[in-house]
Amino acid sequence: MEPIGHEGLGRLLKLEDNLQTPHVVFSHSDLEESKDLESGGTITIGKKFSLPPSPLGLDSEKSPYLQLSENIAVIDNAYSIKPKKLVEIAKEFRLEAGYSRLLYAPAVEPSQMPILAYLGVDVFDDLNVELRSSTGWVLESGEWIKQNKQIEDLFSHNRAELNRWILRIRNAISNGKLRELVELTSLHNPRVSQILHHSTSLLIAKGARVHSIIRSNDLSLNHPAILDFQDRLSNYEPPARDMVLLILPCSARKPYFKSSSHKRFFNALREVDNYLALHVVSVTSPLGLVPRELEFCYPAAHYDIAVTGQWSASEIEMLRSQLAKLNLKQNYTKAIVHAGSSSEIMTKLIKELGIDVVDTRVEKPSSYEGLEILQNIARMSLSDVPLLNTRDRAKGEAVGLAKFQYGDNSNFLVKSEISGRMPYKLRCGDLAAMSPVVGGFGLTLKGGIEYSSQGGPTIIAETFKLIGDLFAVGVKSYEGSWNIGDQVVIKQNDTVTGVGIAKMMPEEMIAMKRGIAVEVRHHA
Amino acid sequence: MPEAFVPLTDFVNESKSIPRDHPLDKPVAKWVEEEVLDGEVVEAGVVILRTRGCYWSIKEGCSMCGYFNDTVPGGVSDDMLREQWRKVRPILKGKKYAKIYTSGSFIDPTEVPFDFADEVMSDMSDMGIEKVLIESLPEFVNPKNFAYTNSPKLEIAIGLESSSPVVLDKSVNKRLRWPHFVKVCKLARDNGAEVKAYILLKPPYLSEKEGIEDAVQSAIDAAPHVDKISINPVNVQKNTVVEKLWFRNEWTAPWLWSVVEVLQKCEDLPVRVYSDPTGGGTRRGAHNCHDCNKKVLEALKNHRLGLGDLKGLHCNCKSRWNVLVNQSKLRRNGSEPHGYRSGFTGGRHF
Repeated sequence: MEPIGHEGLGRLLKLEDNLQTPHVVFSHSDLEESKDLESGGTITIGKKFSLPPSPLGLDSEKSPYLQLSENIAVIDNAYSIKPKKLVEIAKEFRLEAGYSRLLYAPAVEPSQMPILAYLGVDVFDDLNVELRSSTGWVLESGEWIKQNKQIEDLFSHNRAELNRWILRIRNAISNGKLRELVELTSLHNPRVSQILHHSTSLLIAKGARVHSIIRSNDLSLNHPAILDFQDRLSNYEPPARDMVLLILPCSARKPYFKSSSHKRFFNALREVDNYLALHVVSVTSPLGLVPRELEFCYPAAHYDIAVTGQWSASEIEMLRSQLAKLNLKQNYTKAIVHAGSSSEIMTKLIKELGIDVVDTRVEKPSSYEGLEILQNIARMSLSDVPLLNTRDRAKGEAVGLAKFQYGDNSNFLVKSEISGRMPYKLRCGDLAAMSPVVGGFGLTLKGGIEYSSQGGPTIIAETFKLIGDLFAVGVKSYEGSWNIGDQVVIKQNDTVTGVGIAKMMPEEMIAMKRGIAVEVRHHA
Repeated sequence: MPEAFVPLTDFVNESKSIPRDHPLDKPVAKWVEEEVLDGEVVEAGVVILRTRGCYWSIKEGCSMCGYFNDTVPGGVSDDMLREQWRKVRPILKGKKYAKIYTSGSFIDPTEVPFDFADEVMSDMSDMGIEKVLIESLPEFVNPKNFAYTNSPKLEIAIGLESSSPVVLDKSVNKRLRWPHFVKVCKLARDNGAEVKAYILLKPPYLSEKEGIEDAVQSAIDAAPHVDKISINPVNVQKNTVVEKLWFRNEWTAPWLWSVVEVLQKCEDLPVRVYSDPTGGGTRRGAHNCHDCNKKVLEALKNHRLGLGDLKGLHCNCKSRWNVLVNQSKLRRNGSEPHGYRSGFTGGRHF
């Protein structure tokens, strides 16, 4: 098997005979009954594999949860285990099953297949589809409908539709849109939405970080990438002390600084003395607050939302907690709010935190009149603020970004020779440079050496000349941990020979014989 | 990696520690029902006495048995047992057949004192009762436990449940061994008692088809050693492993069609095989769709009393049952989607 795509804990695997996961087996041709209660029957996925015996007498809520045979792990009762418990079990899926067993969930309803695939289930079956078919229901995009017209051989019809449904799940994984499909199925399915709700922290901790566009809505407030971004903001520090906070609206174009409105803001502001002491933070849903230097970071540059101009109660609560993370009273002297329809609520929230705030009260922030007012207010606010030069500002921005991106392992970047300026030319000596692909600082080979020695995730590869990407078959062992999408360092014979982006989970690289393990960005 | 798998029976003992508040001077229940005696339909008096209950249920208990809910953990004194007996006598008067149940083994002398049992048997004999049915675990079927001075003809019902050691051990959690069962059947029959065997239909964890196959095989195995066989479709009793599985939708009560199927497959056996499903037609008992529950139960009753057969029963849900049975082993447990028996027509029917 060869992993070719991931999202969340779900995986798109290429199997033999041109098969792919998530896969559906058809009971009449692919499943064979067990001979007796103590054996397990067989399942055909290209080849015939034996199934583990069913869990006679066991408590489905106590670990170990999976029944294992040599190639297959079965999660019995996936359709009925309580949502919270199911997520708890999903945490253990790969610990119990490993990466080289396919995870099979028997008798699952089609509507639950996307969420289960998102949590890592590889194989489904048509048992419930057969039951529904025998009662005259027609499968349509994962849902059951009754229709008056008689369909000849309804079961075959529904099996074909189930195949399309599974294909849709596979497609969603390869396009990074599985989350969308899961949200779609969760809308009016309380069980799926509960599972989704409980799985957020698991997905942040272990889910693949695929940089796909987040086309957002209210539900997406719980998107793992968004919660992760918001959470990391609590370790964030602005570029310098005593700056003036400037709240601007978000823009449709990402990153924001490339949008026409933000270019206009910038052109108006740079005519003001000491404008570098203004710290631009954009207000947006569902991310909350995005400081200028983090605009490259995933998912700040990768989302899209239906703009309503209305802030819901949950969004306001989210903004409040994000503002608290910026530590306004300690980090800024005062604040300017120039955010159009969001101005009123932002001004109110900033006031709550006890610093001086000026609302420009402009309805159209990027209009000519609006920009003039912004310019004047900025000029007044900056008049008594200490001067900030380009160099110090760039250094502060680099440190903030490095800490946001690399957390506890960021020291080597913080101490490096920082040069250039935001956005594109900022670099940390010869260790790292801005990269829109990575979404922040991308490590150079030298940076990889430093990162690895600081405890950054390192993959030990077999000895061979590394050209192009690193494949799973060449992985010997690993140190540290990472999620799919994180930067990793490749070591061969104790020397760092490459840096790149992980495409598999740590254990998965060891278990798999095929597939790209690391997309290499630089090699020796 | 986590250690061993955890059996679900572990949890059941917790619910047994819940204190139970029962009046000691009243029996659990008493009623009259129709039974067959020597090929003739007669009225039978049925009594459930409240006792300490089954010793096995105190130790571990069977996965489907909730009879411990009716017992008194500390035991019931002889005086109270006599008081209970005084209250049930009227219902037994004039009957030819009596069924005296406890929520355990009537011939376990630590549960029902022998002296009291001896008195009761003499009393029934004096009342003109011809045959009395009692229940017991096989371990108490020892002639000295039922050597009454004067008693009606004894019929001892033994819960065999299944002749498969795997089902007994993993699914039912009963420590009964097949050779021992055969031995005690002979012992009882050699000492003038008849033996009736209870066989479970669809014990927990088993799928519909496995349940049917197991019940039929058990009946075939048991037939040479017993006088009649009662097929007991598993029903959901309070505070049992079965109830837990049922709540979690990992197992559902068997279909009445399965009961019919088992009985039809046992037609040629040399002993009478019948079924009186406890809780039949309800969600907790064996049931079909809401259209045919009554009809099938009526047919089962006639079959039991020898007044009719099970041929010619039909309902739309039978084809659904067929589909389910054929795939049930692949489902790996005894479940099915909610509402399937009625074709997902909605409403709160079952």
